[in-house]
Amino acid sequence: MTSPMSCDDAKGLFAEYWSGSLGEREEIAFEAHIAQCEACRRDADQLGALWRNLELIPAEEPGPGVRARFYDSLAAFRQGMESAPKRSLRDRLMALWPAQPAWQMAISFALLVIGVGAGYELRPGAAKIAPDGQESSQIAQLRGEIGNMRQMVALSLLQQQSAGERLRGVSYAYQVPASDTQMLSALLATVNTDPNVNVRLAAVDALRAFGSSPVMRTAVIQSIRKQDQPMVQIELIDLLVDLHETDARPELEKIAADGQINEAVREHAKVAMEKLR
Amino acid sequence: MKKTKMKWMVLAGAAVSAMALAQDSENRVTVAFSNPNRPRVLVVNQVQGSVAVRGYNGKDAIIEGSHVGERRRDSDGHGGMHRIDQPGGMDITENDNTITIHGDFMHSSNITVQVPVETSLKLKTVNGGKISVEGVSGDVEADNTNGSVVVTDVSGSVVASSTNGKVTVSLTKVTPNKSMSFSSMNGTVDVTLPADTKANLRMRTDNGEIWSDFDVKVDGARPSQSIDTREGHHRIRIDKTIYGSINGGGPEIQLVTFNGSIFLRKK
Amino acid sequence: MNATGQVTDNAVMARVASGEVAKMAVLFERHHRALYRYFISMNRNRELSEDLVQDVFFRMLRYRASYDANQSFTAWMYQIARNANVDQAQKRKAEVVGIDEFDDRRAEPASAAPGPEEIAAKGQNIALLKRALERLPDDKREILVLSRFNDLKYEEIAAMLGCETGTVKVRVFRAMRALERVYFALQKEKSA
Ligand SMILES: [Zn+2]
Repeated sequence: MTSPMSCDDAKGLFAEYWSGSLGEREEIAFEAHIAQCEACRRDADQLGALWRNLELIPAEEPGPGVRARFYDSLAAFRQGMESAPKRSLRDRLMALWPAQPAWQMAISFALLVIGVGAGYELRPGAAKIAPDGQESSQIAQLRGEIGNMRQMVALSLLQQQSAGERLRGVSYAYQVPASDTQMLSALLATVNTDPNVNVRLAAVDALRAFGSSPVMRTAVIQSIRKQDQPMVQIELIDLLVDLHETDARPELEKIAADGQINEAVREHAKVAMEKLR
Repeated sequence: MKKTKMKWMVLAGAAVSAMALAQDSENRVTVAFSNPNRPRVLVVNQVQGSVAVRGYNGKDAIIEGSHVGERRRDSDGHGGMHRIDQPGGMDITENDNTITIHGDFMHSSNITVQVPVETSLKLKTVNGGKISVEGVSGDVEADNTNGSVVVTDVSGSVVASSTNGKVTVSLTKVTPNKSMSFSSMNGTVDVTLPADTKANLRMRTDNGEIWSDFDVKVDGARPSQSIDTREGHHRIRIDKTIYGSINGGGPEIQLVTFNGSIFLRKK
Repeated sequence: MNATGQVTDNAVMARVASGEVAKMAVLFERHHRALYRYFISMNRNRELSEDLVQDVFFRMLRYRASYDANQSFTAWMYQIARNANVDQAQKRKAEVVGIDEFDDRRAEPASAAPGPEEIAAKGQNIALLKRALERLPDDKREILVLSRFNDLKYEEIAAMLGCETGTVKVRVFRAMRALERVYFALQKEKSA
């Protein structure tokens, strides 16, 4: 522990020595080293002086136009935001889409088989069979994985441009098993990032199916303050109350006290805390 | 200096090049949809002011913008010329049959657009006006914050919300299998659907009432009503949310309001 | 909240990431000057640096969803700044810039002549130190600017450069040695 410090060891400590941020132990060891090593002592002093003087170089300031341009651009961006596709979620979901065209086609066909065109007929166990009765081995295999296909349908719908299609994707989520973590994370991403409030509201409702997932509970607790829509915040709080998620109390307390949050939401958080007592 | 700002504007919108556009008057332009093989889409992003869209018997979009109150002076016009792409301070782009309009974010303005009947819409405003849609056939998305949303005589599907305003929607025909959703924080949600519409419903109101002349079959067996089985709890929620169906069930239709009432009407 | 009662950068950015893009204004007010200083130190071009500052905030808006609230906002921002700078440098590579012209540009900044502030005890000349810093190779100048001017923690610089914190500290030391060499070389030139 107290073995003497080498010059190489010392090299990593100069920067903090100059700025006075070494820990006590390191500082003692470092000073012990420079006390008996002339080369390092010289560096510590000489370079230290330069280091301090660097701070005296006056900062160059940007011109006054920078601020105006930023605020213009921010306003323009806010306008453009809603019309732009949601990159993150789309990209993440695209990654789930197989790259080989053969599989893409097979999946597209499978979508027809399980009835994308008639989502509501898709009650569990009501999957349709290819009308001509002929089964390619590929389709047979796909039917074996019909749960996955439902997931695939839901995931591909969730990345659509149209809010109506994404809503349909959310309603498909009711069809997948509650153990489906990919579906759960897609729904959570929708709750947190979908540009449309109606889609987010529907996704919160769909999360109820995943009530036993601790991941979901934690994510929901964290999501509340990220939301800019009071409606979604209230639905999330209600979900936590329904789940009797007592771990939500500290966060609810913060929400109730956060002046930046919508009044109705804060009231809701207070009531929720009572219920979770 | 100007360069970067332009870049931002272009990135925020879409390519402006080769847009077929005619200036009818200072506040009115006609923009053609360039690709007849793609569905027509109109996107309006407005911050201050209203948005009104109406279907008409034509093939182009006729866009009018009017400033509310103080008019913007185009003092930097060149020798009496003015930018034709910016009536009323708007920024209009057309790309692959999607027309995108960004309202003037410096001033309040009202935007009125006439579109061919078969056009899908994505409309948004924040302050100072309502969003109204009339007589189109397509998928309609409308989001307002401080004003109402009024959609009448539409065939297709609608997803609409307002934070502080009323949401009133009337559909003459519903595209089968489309999910729809209508929500408001503080306003009433009033939706009229064709009598034979099949749908599963989720309706929620905290402080209002739910009214319908549809025969709504309330779904008592919806499993999501009882969810917590931790530590032997089994909670049945008696709540403000009703799940149900009309005409035997169909795609999901969601109606949510916190402080308003819900009206689900039969056409 | 941090010690000064401000909402932390991380918390603000998390809200931006969740859609409250207007909150980006808070981060702009906190960081645009430091970012500008970073860029101008790297490229000695005022207009370009102002453009790059805009570019960084725009990129942060565009990629806001990729922000991980558990990660240091500062490290993330400077990573983006660094990429923006590299992209820009690559674009400019094609431009043929004469050595003389380049040197002129380096000498150009408005605050270039603040009147040499002599540090009496050491006789060091701040203007000369500034020139020495400008002469350093990019990577050495960058690490000094980040650690000394922009107050990034060594861990943050490490995260940004994708290396060990210890490596960053050693590199700071080496950069200071290089700075010293250039500084004394310039001093000799001057007195000669
Ligand atoms: Zn030594």
